[in-house]
Amino acid sequence: MTGDAPTGPIDWAGLVRSGLGKSFWLFVAFAAIMAIVCYLVLGPNAFEDALGRNTELLTGVLPRVVAAQLLAGFVWVLLPRERLSAFLQRNRGRRALVIAAAVGAITPGGPASAFPFLAILAGLRADIGVLVAYITSWALLGVQRIIVWDMPFMGVDFSLMRFLIGIPLPILAGIVARRLPLTVSFEDHEPRRDQQ
Amino acid sequence: MNGFGALFIYGAALGLAAYTLARRDTTFRNGIRRAVEQATIIMPRLVFALLGAGFLVTLIPTEIIVRFLGEESGFTGVLIGSLTGLVIASGPAMSFAIAAAFASEGASIPALVAFLTGWSVFAAHRVLIFEIPMFGFRWVRLRMLSVIPLPPIAGALAMLVTA
Repeated sequence: MTGDAPTGPIDWAGLVRSGLGKSFWLFVAFAAIMAIVCYLVLGPNAFEDALGRNTELLTGVLPRVVAAQLLAGFVWVLLPRERLSAFLQRNRGRRALVIAAAVGAITPGGPASAFPFLAILAGLRADIGVLVAYITSWALLGVQRIIVWDMPFMGVDFSLMRFLIGIPLPILAGIVARRLPLTVSFEDHEPRRDQQ
Repeated sequence: MNGFGALFIYGAALGLAAYTLARRDTTFRNGIRRAVEQATIIMPRLVFALLGAGFLVTLIPTEIIVRFLGEESGFTGVLIGSLTGLVIASGPAMSFAIAAAFASEGASIPALVAFLTGWSVFAAHRVLIFEIPMFGFRWVRLRMLSVIPLPPIAGALAMLVTA
């Protein structure tokens, strides 16, 4: 992806094609198989319960995902992307992992907001270690989740201990990610950029 | 889920929409455009991923997992806790309910730390719902391999701290 500000009309046909691409149908198949197995194993009553809970989940999560996509869109156009990208290219050492972990820990909101921000980082061509350190830190040390979930369920002492133990772990994950002999391209999962 | 997270997303999206509109240039339109492009890829997958994951969670007998975890101790408990965290494919409500139930049965603190760490970093539900649709299998494989050592390390550190 180029990161250039898009111009010209939106390529709707292309968007619909990528929206309904191969992996979309994998998800449709997954949902259908799970629904059928659920119906056969647990019976019609449990199936209806599950369907009801699913509908609640959908109506609860989807508005937040839409809002998070809008938010990420605005952040994307407002960020000084060239400079940030250059900053990320310059800082490829351990320090970048520490910064990524710190930002991950203070990113508020659930996955609906964290993953769009991860997509922004990927779009800025942050290295794989930074991406892994960021999302691991958000998952493990997210301050908001610790306040909302860890402390009420597990108590303050336990939560603090788990937090302190967890501090080096996202950086470690980032180091491991940099050493793994695997490459990831995000091109297939980026919306088509206009090339006119 | 949690009110603050949702409030932040809605508030920040509205705030930035107002700000970009006030600039009276192409910023607002470009932001909407970027959002629409991202959303048309993600939303159709997300809907069916959520449906499938919802049914999957219903099928996993969580009581068995809790009992199995509760009988272990020491580093074996840490390893089992790590593995259990790996297979819990549900949000924080279910996972913390399990962790709390496990704690009330006298579970060891290192096993609990390993369980919560494993669930946090593997997060099978998030992988299904967000990561595969947004970033693809290759990213998920690399991230999973990177975080595999974390739950046992966290459990071992907890053993050192509580010893």
